[in-house]
Order: sequence, then structure tokens, then C-alpha cells
Amino acid sequence: MATQLQLDEKRRKAITQCSRCGFCRAVCPIFDLTKRPITNARGKMILMKEVMEGKLPVTEGVAQALLRCTTCMNCTVNCPSGVDPQEIIKAARKDVVGLGYDNLFKKMGEVVEKYGNIYGEEERYDWGHKKGSAPYILFVGCVGTYREEESVEETIRLLDLLKIDFAMIDEVCCSGVMEDVGYKIKEELARHNVRELQKTSAKTLIATCPYCYRVFKEHPSYRNLGLEVKHITQFLKDLDFGVKTNKKVTYHDPCDLGRHSGIYDEPREIIRKIAPNFVEPKRTRENAMCCGSGGGLRGSFPEDSIEIARNRLGQIIEETRAEVLLTECPSCLHNFRNAKLRRQKIEIYNITEFIAKLLQDQGKKEAA
Amino acid sequence: MNIEGYEFPDGLYYDKNHFWARVEGDLVVMGMNDYAQKMAGSIVYVGLPPEGKKLIQGKSFTKIESGKWLGKVFSVISGELVAVNEELEKRAKLINEDCYGKGWMFKIKPDNMNELKNLMTDPAVIQEWLKTEIAEHGEK
Amino acid sequence: MSSMQKLIEIVGEENFTDKIEELVPYSYDASMNVHRPDAAVWPDSTEQIAEIVKFASDHKIPVVPRGAGTSLSGGVIPIKGGIIIDLSRMNRILEMSIENRYARVQAGVVCDDLNRELAKRGFTFPPDPASSTVSTIGGNVATNAGGIKGAKYGTTRDYVLGLQVVLPTGEIMRTGSCTMKCVSGYDLTKLFVGAEGTLGVITEVTLKINPLPRHAMTAVATYARLEDAGKAIFQTMTSGVLPSVMEILDKVTLRSIKENTDIDLPDAEAMILAETDGYTWEEVEAQMEVVLGILKQNNPTEIKTAKDEKDRLNLWKARKSAYATLARASTSFVLDDVTVPISRIPELLVGIQEISKRYGIVVATFGHAGDGNLHPQILYDEYDREQTDRMEKVEEEIFRLAISLKGTLSGEHGIGLSKANYMTLEHDAVEMALMKQIKRTLDPNNIMNPGKRALD
Repeated sequence: MATQLQLDEKRRKAITQCSRCGFCRAVCPIFDLTKRPITNARGKMILMKEVMEGKLPVTEGVAQALLRCTTCMNCTVNCPSGVDPQEIIKAARKDVVGLGYDNLFKKMGEVVEKYGNIYGEEERYDWGHKKGSAPYILFVGCVGTYREEESVEETIRLLDLLKIDFAMIDEVCCSGVMEDVGYKIKEELARHNVRELQKTSAKTLIATCPYCYRVFKEHPSYRNLGLEVKHITQFLKDLDFGVKTNKKVTYHDPCDLGRHSGIYDEPREIIRKIAPNFVEPKRTRENAMCCGSGGGLRGSFPEDSIEIARNRLGQIIEETRAEVLLTECPSCLHNFRNAKLRRQKIEIYNITEFIAKLLQDQGKKEAA
Repeated sequence: MNIEGYEFPDGLYYDKNHFWARVEGDLVVMGMNDYAQKMAGSIVYVGLPPEGKKLIQGKSFTKIESGKWLGKVFSVISGELVAVNEELEKRAKLINEDCYGKGWMFKIKPDNMNELKNLMTDPAVIQEWLKTEIAEHGEK
Repeated sequence: MSSMQKLIEIVGEENFTDKIEELVPYSYDASMNVHRPDAAVWPDSTEQIAEIVKFASDHKIPVVPRGAGTSLSGGVIPIKGGIIIDLSRMNRILEMSIENRYARVQAGVVCDDLNRELAKRGFTFPPDPASSTVSTIGGNVATNAGGIKGAKYGTTRDYVLGLQVVLPTGEIMRTGSCTMKCVSGYDLTKLFVGAEGTLGVITEVTLKINPLPRHAMTAVATYARLEDAGKAIFQTMTSGVLPSVMEILDKVTLRSIKENTDIDLPDAEAMILAETDGYTWEEVEAQMEVVLGILKQNNPTEIKTAKDEKDRLNLWKARKSAYATLARASTSFVLDDVTVPISRIPELLVGIQEISKRYGIVVATFGHAGDGNLHPQILYDEYDREQTDRMEKVEEEIFRLAISLKGTLSGEHGIGLSKANYMTLEHDAVEMALMKQIKRTLDPNNIMNPGKRALD
């Protein structure tokens, strides 16, 4: 069995470019939790340097160590030496699988292929919304559908209240996540999605999940989509909602929306319209701490993943004393809701879910 | 008692949703059985609803999660939720470690203790049922 | 009982490792030195550390205390193998006594984390090494860390009032006091400061804290001649005013920062960053007047003051990331911290430039010129044997130059492994003998971070 990484020249150079300054320790969510150097970017760059130099063979232990990363990019934006560790880690994960070290996501890949979703659920919930032709298509993805259905229902209800003419399709998993954990996107599933989307002759795809958004926008398998791809916050930012709250509201930047996609302002524009009492956490925008669910960590190290969310939630509560925490990502939402302690009174919602609820409360008040 | 290799202690009531019940004074304590906790894998989250919630025997009232699996928690008896095992908040894994002891989940004040008659206690009955469950869902 | 079993018994299974992939990061720090340890542990109390060290001493197993591992001289490399004692979990601030002007912390507290808490109360621990976002107080004490505030506020040593240390025998000892002054017995506290973890494991530190200056003003001046910049610096330091920061950045450094960050720095032979601070604006401005006057009289090409707070903080961020940013310019580097009397700075600057030219090896120089401490960063390719040879020669000549100017090999990074071979350039036989004797007395089995500084 070969034991050498096959990383390309550019990545090899980046690995030696790591100056081992260790500044990434201050911003890594897993290091923050474990205090173990192998969990942070520097530790992994050193590990890969040794493998590259032939000092260390790839082993199961090395493969496992590479999985312990949420690919949040906080290290990347804070690295003075210009290294993008998470990008290299994802490439190394593929390399290592190629060398014969499969990980637990192999099974997930089989499940995705068979059932069309990452959880192996046999039925895909039908939202009862119109299918077929419309100028907009709403794509909600696996995490929303199977782990935060209520939030998705509220998002759909919001779009209806705003009289947006949209349809939904028979979705299957965008399957882009396979590329982050050592495998490849499921071409069959991508083709299914593209076919279904093109059938609708819609102009714009609205994604609620920032990860699906990235996959549709960036992955070559969706190159021929022919639809404009927007995250729901980009779509809604210019609309008026006709409702406000006086509650103190804060916002958590999902890594896939913020650092990975550069979408920081749109969610804030929406929030400012409905919550004038808006406060930012100290670590926010490019410096927001990760919720712990990305990079496959919720699947590979679920206890760590929820602990990280608990830490981030605690941080947000301490830094803002907000009554409401908003985000717009089903994975962040789910991790925070799992992590929240009973004694913590903060309410947690996706932005769209929260607006839908405000409108519902307003409707009730008016009826009374 | 040991049934098909799984622990099913004497003196408890077992439902077909894989939860157990134990009488403690005028309350009923419930948790997950050994087969289910093994099948679930490392449990990372249990929803802990507020005390006072009204429960109905056989109806789900909260969720339980492990890694990639999400399951429903069904009440063993109708009544009012009076206590939750707060240890599970930060250590849901207790359910895997000691599902009949430290991993207990909820305490219920039942509307009618007699409802426990609907649950299984006879080892022969439990074994028959468990065999069909294993045939359908497999083993870990 | 095997070593592994004993360690697991002390710290618990989750806090012990001998897995190769976890030991690899512990084989490195921020220098070019590498060596594998045999195991690593993450204790969370002084008592656990005492047990570990006692066990190690009984069985003659080396131990290496480690904080963030940002050492630039190999201070935390386990050159003789053994056990890494990682203090990162011992990161609680135990006491902040504003009315008594001290803070007591576990050694694993991160420098900036302490300062964040102190700032809420209007206080500060002034030394701020470039690594302050991640380096630990224990590590700062072990290397007598300096930082950009050194010109006015000194180094870590000036603030350590007392320690709790685990001696190489496994005994726990308290030194010093929590009072501002203390001359009771030998100053054992200062013995451990800067000892680079070779005399014991520092587990707790009592630090003197200062009121946080309310105002600060930053100026930037560029020069066409390195010597002029050097002169401007030592003249400022003797002007009657003490700037809080007096840094220099040379051409290579400036270009690297400009090309790799979005901070717009000018092209120049040298740039000076100066700061004055104080309680009132009037005082700050008056001091800056004096500083600007001196900067002006040394032929600057440009002088300006930072526009606002954001501007100021950006300049400091650029300065603190300088060495890591320079890492983009070459495959490898060695960063030194030679220090000379302040008036010899111009000679040191020019001398380094000359050595660099002579060997054809790029050396970027920046640093705390205000206290005579420069950071020549020698850029080379570690995979090229010939370049590595030249780098070593350049380094040796820089050390010899500094010594000839009545300077020292290390102002703040420590000797570690990187400079051990040069100790006798600076220390005579009498001094070397006494230092070795002290080491032998405290650590007869030579288990405490052995193989460092040529003192064991």
C-alpha cells in the first residue's frame, strides 16, 4: 500500500510555507475545545510536512486526524504566512482515501446514493408546495428537511406571505459534501437535480442552506445549471417585511455563508429592518467562531461538534446578552439547538423563520 | 435477564418503541432499552422538554440523536412530565453507558398506573418481540 | 507498572498520548529544530505535574514543559525524547487584585486573554510579544519575553513578583510574594525567569500589573539610509522622553508586508514606528513633539502620524505578523534576536546588511530598536544543503558582530538549541561553570528540558 501523499506542487509549497508561528491556535474551534495540537491547523501542516518528507507514513491515525477539522477557514483568514490549511486538509482527505484509508463517510456516500439524502431516510418530506414552473425555485437541502423541518416550514410560509411566486422540486442531496470528506460528488444525484431544476424553466434557484448554495454555485457538476444561484438572504435583502421586534437580536455568521462565500452584509441588512436593537458578537464576520458542524465533524466527531456549538453559544450570550440569536444555516441552527442548555433563555432561529413568526404574531394581534 | 444477548432487567416494563418503565413511588421513570442504545450508537443529544408537559402513552414527545441518526422518544405512559435527567444535557452518552441506571431519561406522574398493563414484562413475550425487531433492523 | 500506565493513572487516559500522529506536532516549535518526544500529557493541576515529574526523576525520563510552543529557538524541542508536559489546560486566571496591583494566573493562561480581562478593569500586563494571541504566561516567563512595548515598559522579568514551580525532584515550591517589593531570601523567582524550563516547571505566576494608559499616538517615519534611521532611534531614547514603542522595519520586511497584506506601507530603506502614551492627550502630544523633532533631524523621506485608532491597530498588527508574513518569501527561515547597547544600533543594522550581501543570503531586519534588540530574519531553503551552510555562517557572523558591539546573543527568544553552540562567545569560563553548577544542583538527574543552552 502506497503511503505517500499525492498533493500537487502548489499545496506542497503551501505546507512548507507554514512558519509554525502557531497564531491559528487562537481561532481554531477544535483546538479551543481540546487543547491538542493535532486538532489545529499548525499541527496538521506539520503532520503533512513530515508525510511529504517521507518521515512519517500515512496511517489510520493520520487519516483520522485529518477528519478532525470543521474547515471553517478561521485559520486561513488569520494566517500571516498566507496558508489556506482547510483547503489542503480537504485535498489530503481525498489523497488518504485514495491510498486505501476509507473513512465513515464512505458509508454515508452509499446511503446518499441509495436514498438521495445523507441520513438514509426513506421518505422525503413533501412540503405540499407547488411543483412545476415558476420564476423561482426554493431548494432546502437535507439538513433542513430532516433535522429542522419546522424552520423550513416557516421559511416556506414566509415566502408565501411575501407572495413570492416559487416552486419546489423533488430534491435529492446536492451531495457536494462528499468532496469535503475525501470522496466525490454523486454525479447521478447532481444530474437529477439539474434535470428537475431545468424542467421548471425557472430563472433563479434560491438555496436556504449555505453549503448547497456553494455547491450549486461553484461545483463543476452544476456548471450547466442555467439558473442564477442565490442564497435566501441575498434574495430577500431588498424586500420589506412590515414587521419589527424590540427584542435584542444578534447574528452568527455561518462559515459557509461568511468566510467561504463572502456573504456578510445581506443577512445584516435584513435583520436591521426587523430588529433595530441589533448587536454584533465580538468575534463576528470574518472572525466569527465556527459552530462546529462543518467539514463533516458533526458526523465524524459529533460530541466535539456539539461542545463547540455550546462554547460558541456561550460566547455569544456573554458578549451580547441578546434575547434572540439569528443565523441562516440549517446546520448551525441544528447544532446550536442541540447545544443550548435549558437554563439558557436565548431564542434561536433562522432569520426567515423568525420573520415568519413575527408576522404570525402580528396577524394574531390584529385578529384579536 | 439477558435476552438474545441484550440486558433486560427484571422488574421493569418494556414497550414496543424500545423504552422501559419503572415504578418509583407514585411516579414512573423511563429510559431506553439496551438493544436500542446499542443500535443507536453514541448518543449525543436528547431533547429535554419543560416540566409540566402533557404526555400520551405511545406518542412521541421529543427527539434523540446520535451522530447521523435521529429518533423519536415515545412516552411509556400517559401523564405529566415532572422531571428530566439533567445530566443528559451535557452527557447524553450516559444512555449508552448505563441505560437502566444513570442514563434514565424522564419521570412522569401517570394519569393512570394501570396503563402499564399495556407494556411487556413476560420474558418469553419480550424475546419473541425482540427476535422480530432484530430480524427487521439487524444487530450491532 | 509501565511509564504509560503510570502517566495514565496520574492524568487519565484522555489526557495522555503516545500516538505518533499526536507526537509529531510536539516535535516542532517555530524554529528549525526537530525531535520526537515519547509521550505527551495534558495535566490540569500542579499536583498532577508534581507526580509526573517525581516519577520522571525516579526513572530518569526527560520532561519538557510546553505552553503554546511558539519558541523561536528550540526551547521546547524534546531533544532527548521523553514526556511533553503541555500546560494548555491550566488556563485559569486565579486572582485579579486591582487594589494590590497584581494578577495571579495558572501558567497556561494566554497572554492576550489575561490582558483582555485586565483591560475591562483598566489595567494591563505590558510585555506583548508578537505571539501574544497564543503564547502562554508560563512560556513568556520562561523566556523573559519582550515585545514591542519593551522600550518603555521593559520585559516580563520586570513584572514577575512570584511563582509556583515544580522542581525537578517533584517538590512544589512557591517563590517571591504578591507584594510590590520583596528582598526576603535569595531571589529565586528571578532564577526561573528566562531559565527556559530547564530548572523546573512553572505552574503559577503572580504578575505586577500597570494601569492601562488612556491615550496613545503613533508616528511613522521612513528613511533612505539605514544608518539615519538607526541614529534617529538612539537619539530619541536619550532625548528625555521615553516612547512606549520604538520599532524599526527594513526594506525587505516592508516589501513583504506590503505585498502580502492590505496595509499600504511605503518603499524605503527603513521605517520607524514610534508611539507615545500617557494619561492625558497633552502629555502624549508633547512627548510626540519631541520624538517627531528627532525623527525629523535625521533626514527622513516622510513622516506622518496614524490617522485613527483603526489605523494604529493595523500598523501594530502588521508589525506583529512581520516575521510570519516574511515566511512567504522563502521556503525556510531562522529568526534571531541579537541585542546591543542602544547607541550601537546603527552599526548593527549596517553590519547585518553587509554580512547578508557578502554571503548572498537575504536577511530581513526589523525589531525593537528602542531597546537595542533587532530581529534579523535569515531567509533560505532548508532542502538546499549549500544554502543551509551559508545561512549558518551568516548567523554565526551576526552573533560575533553583536558580541563585538558589547551585545548579547539573545534579547528575548532564549538560547534553546539554536544558539547553544555560541554560548561561550558571550559567557566566560567562570560564568559557564557556575551556571552549570546551578543546573546540576537543582536537577541532578538532568531530566528537566535537557540538552539546552549548553548548560548541562
